Amino acid sequence: CSEYQKTLKNTDVKAKYDLAEKLYEAGDYKRALRLFEQIAPSYVGKPQGERILYFFADSYYKTEDYYLAAYQFERFSKSYPRSDKSEEAAFLSARSKFMLSPKYSVDQTETTEAIDRLQIFINNYPNSAYMEEANEMVKTLRNKLDKKSFEVAKQYNTLSDYKASIKAFELFLSDSPGSVYREDALFYKMTAEYNLAVNSIPARMEERLITAKSTYETLIKYFPEGKYQKDADKMLDVINNELQKFSK
Amino acid sequence: QETNIDKGKKYILGGIEVTGVKSYNEQTVVTFTGLQVGQEITVPGEKISKVITKLWNLNLFSDISFYITRVEGEKVFLELQIVELPTLSDVKITGLKKKKTDDIIKEAELKRGKKVTESFIANTKNYLLNKYKKQGYLNTKVLINTVADTSEANAVKMIVNIDTDEKVKVKDIVFEGNEKLKDKQLRKAMKNTKQRQFGRFWKKSKFIPEDYSTDLTSLIDAYKEKGYRDARVLNDSVIYNDDNTIGINIAVEEGERYYFGNIDFVGNAAYTDRELARVLGIKKGDVYNGVLLRKRIADDTKPDGNDITNYYQNTGYLFSRINPVEVSAQNDTIDFEIRIIEGKPAYFNNVTVAGNDRTNDHVIYRNLRTRPGQLYRKENVFRTIRELGALGYFDAEQLNPQILNPDPDAGTVDIQYGVVEAGSSQIELQGGYGGGGFIGTLGLRFNNFSIKNLFNKEAYKPVPMGDGQTLALRLQASKFYQTYSFSFIEPWLGGRKPVQFSTSLSRTLQFRPTIDYRDVDKDQRFVITGINVGLAKRLEWPDDTFQLSHSLSYQHYDIQNYAIGGIFPFSNGVSQSLAYTVALSRDNTYTNPIFPTGGSKFVISARLTPPYSLFNGVDYADLGNQEAYKDRNSNGYLVHVERDANGNKIASTEKVVATVDEASTDIAKVGQKKLNWLEYYKIKFQGDWYKQLVGDLVLRTNAEFGFLGAYNQDRGIVPFERFYVGGDGLGNYALDGRENIQLRGYPNNSLSARDGSTIFNKFSLELRYPITLKQTASIYTLGFLEAGNAFESFDEYSPFDIKRSAGLGVRIFMPAFGLLGIDFAYGFDPVSGGNTPNGWETHFIIGQQF
Repeated sequence: CSEYQKTLKNTDVKAKYDLAEKLYEAGDYKRALRLFEQIAPSYVGKPQGERILYFFADSYYKTEDYYLAAYQFERFSKSYPRSDKSEEAAFLSARSKFMLSPKYSVDQTETTEAIDRLQIFINNYPNSAYMEEANEMVKTLRNKLDKKSFEVAKQYNTLSDYKASIKAFELFLSDSPGSVYREDALFYKMTAEYNLAVNSIPARMEERLITAKSTYETLIKYFPEGKYQKDADKMLDVINNELQKFSK
Repeated sequence: QETNIDKGKKYILGGIEVTGVKSYNEQTVVTFTGLQVGQEITVPGEKISKVITKLWNLNLFSDISFYITRVEGEKVFLELQIVELPTLSDVKITGLKKKKTDDIIKEAELKRGKKVTESFIANTKNYLLNKYKKQGYLNTKVLINTVADTSEANAVKMIVNIDTDEKVKVKDIVFEGNEKLKDKQLRKAMKNTKQRQFGRFWKKSKFIPEDYSTDLTSLIDAYKEKGYRDARVLNDSVIYNDDNTIGINIAVEEGERYYFGNIDFVGNAAYTDRELARVLGIKKGDVYNGVLLRKRIADDTKPDGNDITNYYQNTGYLFSRINPVEVSAQNDTIDFEIRIIEGKPAYFNNVTVAGNDRTNDHVIYRNLRTRPGQLYRKENVFRTIRELGALGYFDAEQLNPQILNPDPDAGTVDIQYGVVEAGSSQIELQGGYGGGGFIGTLGLRFNNFSIKNLFNKEAYKPVPMGDGQTLALRLQASKFYQTYSFSFIEPWLGGRKPVQFSTSLSRTLQFRPTIDYRDVDKDQRFVITGINVGLAKRLEWPDDTFQLSHSLSYQHYDIQNYAIGGIFPFSNGVSQSLAYTVALSRDNTYTNPIFPTGGSKFVISARLTPPYSLFNGVDYADLGNQEAYKDRNSNGYLVHVERDANGNKIASTEKVVATVDEASTDIAKVGQKKLNWLEYYKIKFQGDWYKQLVGDLVLRTNAEFGFLGAYNQDRGIVPFERFYVGGDGLGNYALDGRENIQLRGYPNNSLSARDGSTIFNKFSLELRYPITLKQTASIYTLGFLEAGNAFESFDEYSPFDIKRSAGLGVRIFMPAFGLLGIDFAYGFDPVSGGNTPNGWETHFIIGQQF
């Protein structure tokens, strides 16, 4: 029976505290955690609690249990708002949330929560040394949300529901004007409009061709020499050819 | 101590003392306030009041006050006086049985450690009073006392005395003033307040004030349905009798009977008066019926009812408001105006999905019937919910469409589908003794697999999921046989259209035991290897519940020293089969795939092999006469040999002959030639119809038919692919492409010949009743009548010569295990050879859904 096992069963809080801190300092976060879990409640509200709660939260963070780390760091920064670790805790709490954010193609509740928490951090600590990283994380998360909307809008085009795709891109372009996917969105919006036009009934074809052409012009205006230039030009040729038939 | 302080003077906090604490640590309270010695503080000021609010919000104290104890120059010393609320240390309930008191402590949350406030006591009392009144104990009295508990600091004991008295029943309900409707009709209208009556055990007589007042409304509704618009309750009284019963007297005024006059529609632009009148279905001169009118405009009981509101809702008018207004009442005729505010038609803006922690967006969005830019239609929302539920990735009971950001001015609306992921993997792990040794089975089935993440280490949590693909693996092995199978299904090949791609591989090895039956002889073996590739496309016509599927399958049968009397005329050789299957199916059952309550499901299919005999020029009838197919002895001389009933040569009869005609036919060689490439066609039909009869009771009607034929009668019907009718219908191990057809009440395969049948038909009626349809486990009971039979050939086919049976059973579906069930069935007819009814059979149903 090791000293650790003995201490785990021991009722002496002080002994647990000493060992837990030793383990934490030594980097054995997993074992330290089990001790912190036991003693944290009895130190809440006491002066040593500040130290313990921080180590407790940080152990979760170091063992990549971000869900609990986010919670414990938040608890810490709320319980000890004047602690000199408070800023760091608020940041790590937000960063834990950031780590929890899943891939773009599933539910993004954690992503929006992470953005909210990062934004609160940015507002509360405008002079923080972590500011740059916090801003970077917000940007990454926003891009993820944009990517999600963009991929959904693009999928409607793949499913041959061009009208839905066009509408979804319209909403995307107006809701996220500064998105990094703006160029892609414009190109795929044009693609959907092009598809709608060339598969159109004759009566509405001209009007739809003109819409596609105007999106092409927006694309070229904002992204001259863009990555889709070649494909867009190819579609434009077809559009112009078709339009000529109407001008006669 | 007297101090003069100006309003809101600034101090440095010199110290803080907490008084009045009983169970808390002073230090803890100070830390919680957030005040620190040495900080700047205004007294009185905002900071102090914030601390008070913060403490107050804890609900732990009944009084909180700050005092200045002394001022030393810039420093101020504060005292925080708090009065702690007592905590509950023990609850004693008198007047009830022990078991019930425990329930009450749980329900009313009378937990140790709760803060005992006045409102807590009052709430508890009200809760208990209501609880017993609802059960009919009208005279319940509840007394709650608190006593200080001396054994703990600041704790009280609660003593609850409950006197329920006897149940109070309604002795009689007396009506006055009713001429048009009889007492009986009126009593019937009062759904929850019933007179005491012998023999009516499903609805007990009790008096609950809330229900009673609802019943008075229903009473008036009963009049309104009959045209008595002015009917009202003049007065009602409840009389307590001495024998612990009550009597109810209700005096009504019926008034005149009214009729509908003109019904005008006002404000309708999208639909004409005539169209709306047709939906309304009420004509001038009809007896006035306020309840019906309300229902025809908006039926609250049926969200997808055929009423005017839904008529508008299904064509985009999300913002429409429809109000019937009485415009005039002359004599007994009432004219109505149905005032309609249509609003702008609503179009969808953002369509989103929330809650899909595992399933990828593209798998869900392709199934949505509401898309951005489309007109809002309520029925499309319902349909989306139904179809998302049918995917099996989500809990069908928890799908929740939410209308967000409705904007009547712009005519736009957002919708968010809330989903909850459901377990969609099944694992089967079995081990047991049977067939002379240990049999182990490992089956894995992932219904929401992601094949593209097969090599992505991060996606294993615990398996790559979320792309809606199905992957199944099954291994079964014993000493004498092994089967391996693998299958994969992608429901949307290419992601553009719902074209399902499926492929499967399987291999079965069967060995014979050694002569002493102790061990396995691997030299005597029968190996089947198969591959199958299929494509299925959802059709747009006649409607999109139809599906057309094609598949191509190849099987390789390798037989070594393995004589199977009858099925294979040879014991060494190879058979191959290449078949194309085309099937047309329809499935519009709803809503729960495990327990459909309506719709139908049918499959009609044809399985064809190429007609080799048309081109290869072999005269199969004449094979036995050709030299190459004659018996020869070990030296290669033509011989004549007699055969026994099983086709085995009788060695003693062998004699060398001179001419080909005299020699006997080697039936193994002929058999090998006939079966080198299998040649057959097979036609099948299966149909299931579901209908909700009364309440949750569902009737399933089923009919099945199958026929296996040969293109070339001389080549004969293949011994493969045959039907085996009878029993549970589970096909756990198919050596030869056989199909086991369920017919309960008879032993497995008992209605077919030993080598299988080539034609069968079957009908069944099944009544199902659900016990629970929760996500964790769905359970339903069933009772059935079945009839069917199998025949050797088309000439013998006689569709009404059938074997009948009846029985009862139960099914349990758990997501992790699939379907489990047991049926007890009685066969009314004898199986072949007997002449007494077959009698009772027990069938275990595992993993099959139907």
